[in-house]
Amino acid sequence: MTNTTEVQAEQIVKPEKQKRNRRENLERIRQVWPWVFFVVLVAGFSVASKQMNDVNFISYRSVQGILEYATQILLIALAETFIIISAGIDLSVGWTLGFSSVIAAEVMQNLHAAGYSPFVTVSLGMLGGILVAIAPGFCNGFLVARVKVPSFIATLGMGILVEGVALLISGGYPVAKQPPYLGALGNGYVVRYWPEHGFYFFKMPAEATVADLPKIIPILPNIVLVALIVTFVCWFILAKTQFGQHLYAIGGNFEAAVRAGIPTSRTLIKVYILASVLAGIAGVIWAARFTSGAYNGGETTPMMAIAAVVIGGASLFGGEGKITGTIVGSLIIATIQYGLVVLGVSPFYQYVAVGIVLILAVIVDQFGRTLGR
Amino acid sequence: MEPLLQAINLTKSFGGLVAVDNVSVDIYPGEGVGLVGDNGAGKSTLIKMVSGVYQPNDGEIRFEGKTVAFSGPREARDMGIETIYQDLALAENLDAPANIFLGREMKRAYLGGAINTLDRNKMRDEAIKVLARLDIRIPSLSQQIRNLSGGQRQSVAIARTIYWNAKMVIMDEPTAALGVSEQRKVLKLVRTLAEQGVPVIIISHNMQDVFAVSDRIVVMRRGMKVGELTAAKSTPDEVVSLMVGAEAVHEMGVIPKALNGVTE
Repeated sequence: MTNTTEVQAEQIVKPEKQKRNRRENLERIRQVWPWVFFVVLVAGFSVASKQMNDVNFISYRSVQGILEYATQILLIALAETFIIISAGIDLSVGWTLGFSSVIAAEVMQNLHAAGYSPFVTVSLGMLGGILVAIAPGFCNGFLVARVKVPSFIATLGMGILVEGVALLISGGYPVAKQPPYLGALGNGYVVRYWPEHGFYFFKMPAEATVADLPKIIPILPNIVLVALIVTFVCWFILAKTQFGQHLYAIGGNFEAAVRAGIPTSRTLIKVYILASVLAGIAGVIWAARFTSGAYNGGETTPMMAIAAVVIGGASLFGGEGKITGTIVGSLIIATIQYGLVVLGVSPFYQYVAVGIVLILAVIVDQFGRTLGR
Repeated sequence: MEPLLQAINLTKSFGGLVAVDNVSVDIYPGEGVGLVGDNGAGKSTLIKMVSGVYQPNDGEIRFEGKTVAFSGPREARDMGIETIYQDLALAENLDAPANIFLGREMKRAYLGGAINTLDRNKMRDEAIKVLARLDIRIPSLSQQIRNLSGGQRQSVAIARTIYWNAKMVIMDEPTAALGVSEQRKVLKLVRTLAEQGVPVIIISHNMQDVFAVSDRIVVMRRGMKVGELTAAKSTPDEVVSLMVGAEAVHEMGVIPKALNGVTE
């Protein structure tokens, strides 16, 4: 059955085939070029760091460093991927990140002071930080889906509001005095290898002295493991579930989605909640890394994250975008950030570089689209 | 044979304007019915009553022998009356199977239904079946719809209604945006539908189209039904004179200039 129709189809559409092949090739180029660019970028930094500092850029440490740099951008970029596919934008996630870090830190500070065990303290704090993120997400979704406020305005307003709430709660100061366990978690590694002693999971070898520390090889930062798991879940939701399919339909043709009976309002509310929860996860990770909560922990992240998503091939008009694209977009930005540190030049260049890459990405995208017509 | 749909003395007015005035139409299984008329003749209003968009002020709609009152298009669709509008309502960024199953995706349950994934393979297989049944050819099922031609997109829209067991299909100007060869394919598809027992009501300005697919032609003018012709026994001129009013044709002695393109 399958083959006959396919074969018939092949025969009938020969004249159109060339055009189609060109379109498919362009499609492929659009998907592949960020990866090519990523490789070129790494190669460029390798040459530069060898020439300038006589340092090998491609190393085990760089890989881990880049992944650590990428974590926060990636988590927020995942949130933006969902929103952008639904033809929206979320400007509030950066402030939700800060808000979540503040709430998590407040909870942990109080429980720690009250003498609860580190495990209970940290678990409840993180849970609290992630759960409070649902509130701004629901408000965003409700405003966009039901009240029909443009997402740009709804999330801009919600972002400022959330910033204000986080400031009121924290008084504008970092929420410190956290259990020491928190920092060990946020800056720890899944595995540590101590030659001649063995592997240690989630813990420093207790018998190691300060002199031994340089010998211990850390493998896979905890936060990177969390980011990997979250990314996998996001990929699954977007590529494999009905919810993901409905997002593409809503972003592609809202009217068609409505007429096909897709529950558009419910889907939109869900997607804004999902984005906020991802920001909440990023927030508690921030709190764990810096052992405090700060209202402005994610201040500049959304812009970088949106850039990552667009570099990865998503369309701001909605309906287009993939998790793999967002991964490579985030890696490109993290590599630029990390690479500039390795080169020892001013990290402020990152903004110049990311700006250029973003504009380049859009030009490549538009070029591809025009040729594809 | 019992009519599938009976519209009996339907009347719809908007304020003082009577858009459809006491119109009755029967639709039988397996026939193509052309609905023609000048702009403002009441074709769209009549169709919108049948498809549940408007509620008639007076008159009755019977579907499969039972009196029905649709409060919205959703109800009409649930009963099997599908309307394909010019804009097709497809998600251009998705492929053909995804569009056929839009909003009614097939799923696979894992862990006792705790996790559901899309069953893309099954949707693809079903899409191939329905496309084959209607003799529709599409270059690639994994292509985004936006890369297909207008006629292929039209075909996908038709396939979607058929897959979901449309008992009757209403098409509004199905060939308006298509090239000549594409028009022919879509018209052939309409015939295929009718032959498979699904009646098609086609609204069109194009006499050629109407005659190509219709068994019967219903002519409307100023909200009233002014003629019901058997396509095989009538001519485009006859239809046009009914459309614009026989007097008008008579007065001018020729078919009005504005309709020249329509009748050729």
